[in-house]
Amino acid sequence: MAGSIPESAFADRAAALAGAAAVSDRRWDALRRAARARLAPFGAAVLIAALAVALAAPVLAPYDPYAQDLGSALQAPGRAHLLGTDNVGRDVLSRVIWGTRVSLVAGFVSVAIAALAGSLLGIAAGYSGGRVDGLVMRVMDAVLSFPPLVLALALGAVLGAGLTGVLIALGVVYTPTFARLMRGQVLTVKARDYVEAARALGAPAWRIAWQHVLPNAAAPIVVQASLSVAFAILAEASLSFLGLGIQPPGASWGSMINAGRGYLQQAPWIVFGPGAALFVTVVGLNFVGDAIRDGLDPRLRG
Amino acid sequence: MSVSRREFLKTCAVMSSVPMVGLAPGVAAAQAPKKGGTLRVGFYIEAATMDPHLSGSKVDRQVYHNIYEPLVTLDTKLGIRPGLAESWSQPDPRTLVFKLRRGVRFHDGTDFTAEAAKFNFDRMKTEPKSVRKGEVASIDSVDVVDSHTIKINLKRPDAALLATLTDRAGMMISPKVVQERGAELQRNAKGAGTGPFEFVEWVKDAHLVIKRNEGYWNRQGGPYLDRVRYRPILDDTVKLQSLQSGEIDVMDYVQPRDVAAVKADKNVVVLDVPSLAAFAYQLNHQKPPFNNKALRQAVAYSLDLEQIVKGVWLNVGVPANGPIPPTSWAYDKSIPYIKRDLAKAKARLAEGGKPGGFEFTMTTANIPINVQEAEVIQAQLREAGITTKIKLVDAATQLSDGNSRNFEMISYQWSGRPDPDGNIYQFFRTTPGTSLNWSGISNPKLDELLDKTREVSNQAERKKLYSELIRLLQDELPMVYTVHPVEPKAFSPRVQGYEPIPDGMMRFKDVWLK
Amino acid sequence: MGRLIAHRLLATIPVLLLVTAGVFALLHLTPGDPIDAMMAESVDATAKDALRRELGLDRPIPVQYAAWMGRLLRGDLGRSIRNGEPVIENVSRRIRPSLELALLAMAISLTIAFPVAIASAVHHNTGVDRLGTTFALFGICMPNFLLALLLIFLFGVTLRWLPISGYVDPLEEGWAGVRSLVLPAVTLGLALAAVVTRTLRSSLLDALAEDYVRTARAKGLAESHVIRRHVLKNALIPVVTVLGLQLGTLIGGAVITEYVFALPGVGRLVVDAVFARDYPLVQGVILLIAVGFIASNLLVDVLYGWIDPRIRLR
Repeated sequence: MAGSIPESAFADRAAALAGAAAVSDRRWDALRRAARARLAPFGAAVLIAALAVALAAPVLAPYDPYAQDLGSALQAPGRAHLLGTDNVGRDVLSRVIWGTRVSLVAGFVSVAIAALAGSLLGIAAGYSGGRVDGLVMRVMDAVLSFPPLVLALALGAVLGAGLTGVLIALGVVYTPTFARLMRGQVLTVKARDYVEAARALGAPAWRIAWQHVLPNAAAPIVVQASLSVAFAILAEASLSFLGLGIQPPGASWGSMINAGRGYLQQAPWIVFGPGAALFVTVVGLNFVGDAIRDGLDPRLRG
Repeated sequence: MSVSRREFLKTCAVMSSVPMVGLAPGVAAAQAPKKGGTLRVGFYIEAATMDPHLSGSKVDRQVYHNIYEPLVTLDTKLGIRPGLAESWSQPDPRTLVFKLRRGVRFHDGTDFTAEAAKFNFDRMKTEPKSVRKGEVASIDSVDVVDSHTIKINLKRPDAALLATLTDRAGMMISPKVVQERGAELQRNAKGAGTGPFEFVEWVKDAHLVIKRNEGYWNRQGGPYLDRVRYRPILDDTVKLQSLQSGEIDVMDYVQPRDVAAVKADKNVVVLDVPSLAAFAYQLNHQKPPFNNKALRQAVAYSLDLEQIVKGVWLNVGVPANGPIPPTSWAYDKSIPYIKRDLAKAKARLAEGGKPGGFEFTMTTANIPINVQEAEVIQAQLREAGITTKIKLVDAATQLSDGNSRNFEMISYQWSGRPDPDGNIYQFFRTTPGTSLNWSGISNPKLDELLDKTREVSNQAERKKLYSELIRLLQDELPMVYTVHPVEPKAFSPRVQGYEPIPDGMMRFKDVWLK
Repeated sequence: MGRLIAHRLLATIPVLLLVTAGVFALLHLTPGDPIDAMMAESVDATAKDALRRELGLDRPIPVQYAAWMGRLLRGDLGRSIRNGEPVIENVSRRIRPSLELALLAMAISLTIAFPVAIASAVHHNTGVDRLGTTFALFGICMPNFLLALLLIFLFGVTLRWLPISGYVDPLEEGWAGVRSLVLPAVTLGLALAAVVTRTLRSSLLDALAEDYVRTARAKGLAESHVIRRHVLKNALIPVVTVLGLQLGTLIGGAVITEYVFALPGVGRLVVDAVFARDYPLVQGVILLIAVGFIASNLLVDVLYGWIDPRIRLR
C-alpha cells in the first residue's frame, strides 16, 4: 500500500513493503468477498471482453488504425467516427481497439517476467541462505528504494524506447515483490520436517525446489501475479504517457492519452476514449485478481 | 491564418516595412507611449546562466538581449545596424575596425571602452568554460587603437563574423563585474550589462526580474517599462491559458495547434514572427540505405511538403527549399521546394536498385509536433513503397545518435542564425571540424562553394553562391528540409510597441503597457 | 529495540551502495551526454571536450564513481552540470513545492477519507459501505495522469475556475498559491483518500470488534460517543503510519503529477535531470530519495513494533 499514491500504478509493488498493514486488511477482504458475488462476474466479463477485442481487433475495428486523413483531423465523435478522430485524422475507436492488444501484452508479459525472475531469485536466496541470500535481498532492497517510475524511466532510456524496453523495465521494477514472496515461501517450506529429511538424505537442491518448494509457493505467486497485471497495465500506460513504450504509429492507451494531452481544449475525445478503456479494464482486472486470490489462497478463505 | 507562401512573404515584407509594429497596428499608432508598469513574460524553460560567454542555451538570449548589448544589432530584415559600435569598416578582408559608442556606461557605473571590449573578446577566447570559442575562432587578436576604437585581426576572411557579433559573441560584460564576481556572475548579473534594462534578481524556478536602466545611453524611445518579470512555464497549454486568463502579458511561442483558437480570442493578440528556424532530417551518407543518392532522392520525391505544412503545421510555416529561411537576404525564391512526384520517386527507387521499395528507421525527437510530422511522413513514404520504423528518442539521445552517426534518418531542428553561413557551413563542409555534419557528406564541389562563401564579402555575390549551393544540396540531399516555421508570439492587448526581429529574441526596449 | 534499529541502519549501507552504483551504471549506459545536451547548438567540439575534461567526464567510469564516492563521504554531493549549483541547493529549492503539494494532498485526502471510512465501518455491509469501498477501489484503479487530465479539462478548460498550473508559492503569494496547487493536490489527494479510506475502514472494523467497545456499548453509551472516544482513537495509529510513509514518498516526488501540472518539484527535477543527463544531479537526488524512503520504512517498522509488539522488526 505504501508508495501507492504518487503513481498509483505502482501500488501493489509497494504493498510488499508494508506487510504489517496487511494484517488489518483481512477485514477488507471479508467485505470484498461479500461484494464479490456481483463484482467477480463483472470483472470476468471485462477481462473476457478485453481478450476478445484484442484477438478480434482486425475484425472489430471499423477503420485501419493507422490510416490518416489530415483533412478530417480532430473530428468530434459522430456517426462516421464513434469516438472521433485524432490529430492526424485517425479513427480513435479503431486505435482504442488495437491498443487493447498492447495493454494486455504489457500487463501479462511484464508480470510474467517479474514472476519468473523474482521466483528464481527468491528460491536462490531462500535456499542458499547466508551470503547469497544477503546479496540477493540487498539488491532487491536497492531496487525497491528507487522511485519506481524514475527507475522505469531510466531503464527505458537505457533499453531504448519501444514496447520491449518497457516490458523489461516493468519486469525489473516488479521483480523484488516476487523475490520477497518466494523467499518467504522457501524459508517456510525449508523448515518443514519432510524437506529437512529429504535434504539429510542428500537429495539435490533443484529436486527439492521442484518437488517441495514450487508446489507450495505456486498459489501465492499466482495470486500476486493476478493482482499485479492490472497495475502493470497502468504502469505501461504511465510510461507511454511519458513517451516511452510503443513507438508511433502504434497505439497504446497511454500513448494515445499523451498525444491527446495538447488537444484537451480542441478535441478532448482523443483522451476520453482510451481513458475509459483503461479505467474499465483495470477495475475489471482488479475484481478478477481478487477472485483468484480467494480461490487460491487458503489462508484467506472462509 | 491560411496563407500561401507568396502571401506569407508579403506578410513578412509588410511587417518589416513598418518598423514599430503596434500590435493592433491602427490603434497603437494613435497613442503615445507611456512609462511604467511590469511586463510579465512566460517562457518555456528556466534560463541556464546569466554569463553570455558561458551560455549554451537559447532561452538565455531572451534575457540577454534586454540587459546586455552586442556591438552590432539586427533589424527586422536581418540587416546589421550599429549597437555598442557606432560604425565599422573593413580595410582589408582580414581586418575589422569598430568605432565604439562614447558615453556608454555599464550598470555598475564603469565606462564602456575599447579596453573593456578587448577584455570581452580575450575572455571568450581563453576562459576554459567559454562556449563562444567556436564563434570567435576566426579572430586572431584584438588591438586597442584608442580609447574607443578596436581593431580585430582575423586568421582568415570571415564574411559571417559581423552577423555573429549581433548575438552573445558580441555582447559586452563589465570587466569589473567579471573580475569581482567570478562564477557568481552565472546567476547574478547585477551591474554587468549596458542594456536598456538592469538585472534585479533571479529566484530559480520562480522568476527573473529586470528593471529600467534610468541612465540608458539611447534617449530615443524607451525603455518605458518599470520592470520585466520572466517566469518559466514548462507546459505550452498552461502557458497559453495563463495568458488568456491575464496571469502573464507575453508568451514566447504559440504552438501551431493553438494558433487558430488564440487568434479568435479577443483577449489575446497574436503576432506571426517569421523565424530563422528550419525543421529537417539528416540522412546518413556513410551507410546503407542512404549512401545511395538515388534512394535519398526517392525519399525527397515521396514527401508532400505542402501536406505537411498544412496538416501538421496548420500553415504556421512555409515549405522549405533548403537551409536558408525566407526571412534572409540570401533566400532565393526562384528555387522551388522539392515537390512530391511519386513517379520520379519510383524511378529513383529502381535506379537505386530497390524497385520494390526499402525499409529504414527514422529517429525522431520525442516532441509532439515532431512525432506528428514523423507519422505523416511515414504514411507518405508508404505510398511510395518505402517502409519506415519510427524510433522516438529524448533530446540527449538524439544528439548522441547524431554525433556518432548512429542513425539512418534523424530529425533535426535548427533555431537558425542571421547569416546564412551559420545555417549551412557547419552542416555540409567535410568533417572533421564541422560537428553538425551528422550526415557525413563530403563533396569536393560543395566544399569549394562553402569556402568561397566565406571569402567573398559582397552580399550580391554571396547570394549567388548560396543559390548555387541550395541547388546542389537539393540534388545531393545530405538533409531533407520540410518547413521553415513561423514562431507566433502572443500578447495581452495592453502590450504595445513590440518590434519583431526574425531571430525570435524579444527586445523590450520600446515596449509599453496601455 | 535500540540494537535492532542500529542493526537495520547498518544494513542500509550496502543497500545505499548498491543504489548509487546502480544509478551510476544506468546513467552511463544511457546514450547521450550532459555536455552535448547542454550545448545542443554549439558547433565547437574542442570547447566541449575542454568542458568535459574540466568536469572530469572524460575519465573512466569506475574512477568517476570513486571520485564521486570520495566527495560523498566528505558530505559533498557535487554540483549540477547544467546550472553549476550544488546539488543540495537544487534539491532544497524544489522540495518546497513538493512538500506543500504533499501536505495539501494529505489534507484533502483526510477530509474525504474520514467521513467515508467511518460511514462505511459503522454501516458495515450495507449500501453505504459498498459505496465507500467502491469509491476506494476506483481511486486506486484510476491512473494519476488520467485523473489529472480530467480535472484539467473540467475545472481548467471547461469551467475555468482554477489555474491549471504554474506554481505560485502559497507562502509568498497566499491565496493565489493555494489556488495553483488545488488541482494537483486533488489529483494526488483522491488517490491517497482511497488508500486511507481502505486502511481506516479496516482498522475501524477491527477496533469495533474489540471487547472494550462491546463493554462501552453495553454500558449504554451513545454510538457516536463510542466511535469518537473508543474506536477512532485506536483505529488511527495505522492511518498515521500509512500517512507517514506516504509523506516520505510524496516528497520524493509525485513524478507524473508534477509533470502534468508543470510543478517545479523534486519529481520534475529528477525527470528533467535524467533528460539532461545531468549525472551529479540525478545521482544526488536519487540517493536522497532512497535515504528518505529507507528512513521512512524503518520508521514505520519501528512504529509498528512499538504499537503492536506482536509485529516484530524483521
